[in-house]
Amino acid sequence: MPQSRFAMLMMAPAMLFLGVMVAYPILLLIDNSFYHVELLKPAVRTWLGLDNYIKVLTSERLEDAALRTLRYTVFALFFELVFGVMAALLFDALGAASRWHRTVFALPLMVSPIVAGILWRFLLIDQVGIINYGLAALHIIADPGAVSWLGNQDIVLYAVSFPDIWLTTSFVALVVFAGLQNIPRDVLDAARIDGANAFQRFILVRLPLLRPVIAVVLIVRGVDAAKTFDLIWIQTEGGPNFQSEVLSMNIYQRMIRYGDVGQASATATLFLAAMVILAVLAYRFTWGKNRDA
Amino acid sequence: MQSKSLLGASALALLLAAGPAFAADTINVLVEAGGESLQKPIAEQFTKDTGINVNFVVVPYAGVYDKLSAEFAAGASNYDVATVDVIWMAKFADFAEPLDALFTDNVKADLAPALLADSQVKGKWVGMPEWANAEILFYRKDLFADPKQQAAFKAKYGYDLLPPANWKQFEDAAAFFTQDTNGDGKPDLYGTDVLGANPEEWMAEVLQAGSPGVVLDDKGNVIIDNAAHLKALQFYTDILCKDHAAPEGAAQVDWGAAQNMFYQGQTAMMKFWAHAYRQSPADSVVAGKIGAAPMIAGDAGIAAIPGPWYNIVPTTSQHKDEAKQFVAYAIAHNALGIAAPLGLAASNAAYASYEDKPGYEHFKPLIQTLAAPATKGRPLVPQWQEIVDQAVTPMLQQALTCKADLPTLLKNAKATIQGILQ
Repeated sequence: MPQSRFAMLMMAPAMLFLGVMVAYPILLLIDNSFYHVELLKPAVRTWLGLDNYIKVLTSERLEDAALRTLRYTVFALFFELVFGVMAALLFDALGAASRWHRTVFALPLMVSPIVAGILWRFLLIDQVGIINYGLAALHIIADPGAVSWLGNQDIVLYAVSFPDIWLTTSFVALVVFAGLQNIPRDVLDAARIDGANAFQRFILVRLPLLRPVIAVVLIVRGVDAAKTFDLIWIQTEGGPNFQSEVLSMNIYQRMIRYGDVGQASATATLFLAAMVILAVLAYRFTWGKNRDA
Repeated sequence: MQSKSLLGASALALLLAAGPAFAADTINVLVEAGGESLQKPIAEQFTKDTGINVNFVVVPYAGVYDKLSAEFAAGASNYDVATVDVIWMAKFADFAEPLDALFTDNVKADLAPALLADSQVKGKWVGMPEWANAEILFYRKDLFADPKQQAAFKAKYGYDLLPPANWKQFEDAAAFFTQDTNGDGKPDLYGTDVLGANPEEWMAEVLQAGSPGVVLDDKGNVIIDNAAHLKALQFYTDILCKDHAAPEGAAQVDWGAAQNMFYQGQTAMMKFWAHAYRQSPADSVVAGKIGAAPMIAGDAGIAAIPGPWYNIVPTTSQHKDEAKQFVAYAIAHNALGIAAPLGLAASNAAYASYEDKPGYEHFKPLIQTLAAPATKGRPLVPQWQEIVDQAVTPMLQQALTCKADLPTLLKNAKATIQGILQ
């Protein structure tokens, strides 16, 4: 048997799986986006052409939801990255002694997002939430009702990202920690001999060498944060007054709660395309031909 | 020989084809967890009496809608009965067997008018009520019975302190009980809560104010900007914005948060679903001090938005006869479920059989509220969920910022709803 045919044979199960479980649903999604389809009566389809896309692209609600998705993703990702890198540097400095610290730090990863969402909802909700009681006890705020984390339209989008940051900072820390372990010690020693202090060694040596790892974190966590649904839904259901509504939530509501499969499919298709483009750009930026990493 | 084989094969084919017509050993009932506990004692008795087993498929609240939607879309269902929230009735009406034969005069006479009205979609009896809930008034008996509070209230308002029965009494009591109990200059006890995340309490006040319907009238016209809706919105927001008798942050307060505040002793009164009376946590600071009264009355009297669940028989059921038999049995033996933790029923007779028992003091206020002439269900239109999500709740949350012009909010909500209904 020729080698190429053998290779194809070996790949066939995986290709079949991807075809059935990934390609077919995506094609179905794209196909539905050109029709008016009701969830309960999928056999009744009315061709709309690009109408669903026009509705989506001209909807202020969806534009706002898209911008909020971006703001949520950038905010969550920024803090996950900052806290994660800081924790990874701490673990690295502690060396083998950090084994237990890493284990404890990874515990939030084991918590289901729904549980985390409920937990944080009751931590944050004013009058009842422990966080406001703590802040009031420390005299940071005047009384437990002073900050309405989930009720204030100006801050709710950032408040609902707290559980996301809490859940996944440990993931970022562990990945970056693994990246730090792979940096050759002789490079760091050479920098030290050249007189670089700890900050310079981090900025000029470690950070550039961590670039591929950070890119992976940015792609994986960025896409993950952009499609966050359960964490926010359980805390606010997108409220108050839509101010924590992100795109995935809009797609869910339109598809499942309102049964408008066509328009939800059009939104989801555009969302998918945007995610793919962002991932490709991030990939090229990190591993492009001109990069030596 | 060949003809014998052919006959045998034909008989087998006929048997297989006629399969669903044979009596079933088991029927599958799709239900959420609370509903299973209410119907389990009924199902056990049903099995003893008929020999038909009842298999409950228990899913979370939203799972009932998601699973049924998926199965109806696929055109096949594993479920012979589904217990559904009233808000889904309009969506599932086309996929439910008519239950007209089960609504005998006796059954109709034993159900509150609002529950009967919600049983029908476009003139078809779609679902049989299995249990019904409504928001009633919970209050702190210790506070209302405190002679010092009674004297202070009478001195301030000129009448006796009693559990509020109408809007004025409710507003007075809410303002009165908003008190600084530890002398730090800030209230530690509020009169009540105001919900921004769930609009049903405001809708109840819309009915109390005399509106012919909530958001839509019976002909489907959008009436969210009528005088009663505005009056109710003014009253609803006044508690927070004018009287400051409820905690800030109302926009995101939902039923769970309202319950927590009441059980933590932060509020003196709470309008809440009646079932909570028997579910007060033993370690709550208000345990044993909770009283129950009917929902407050406006110009049109007492009114609430009922929260009933209905048993429907999907058209895709393979055992429709047995399923209908179970649905009829469940309403006839409705009281069997009351001992369950949720402690609810639908029929008047079931509630009446428990109303004088200790621990069920909330049943009389509940029956009175459910049977009130102005009590009415939410409009049974398929777009209801979208209307609530996209227009009603955001409007209410904007109103609770205390900065918005209320008539303008209602007018904008009307335009949004009309867009959804088009």
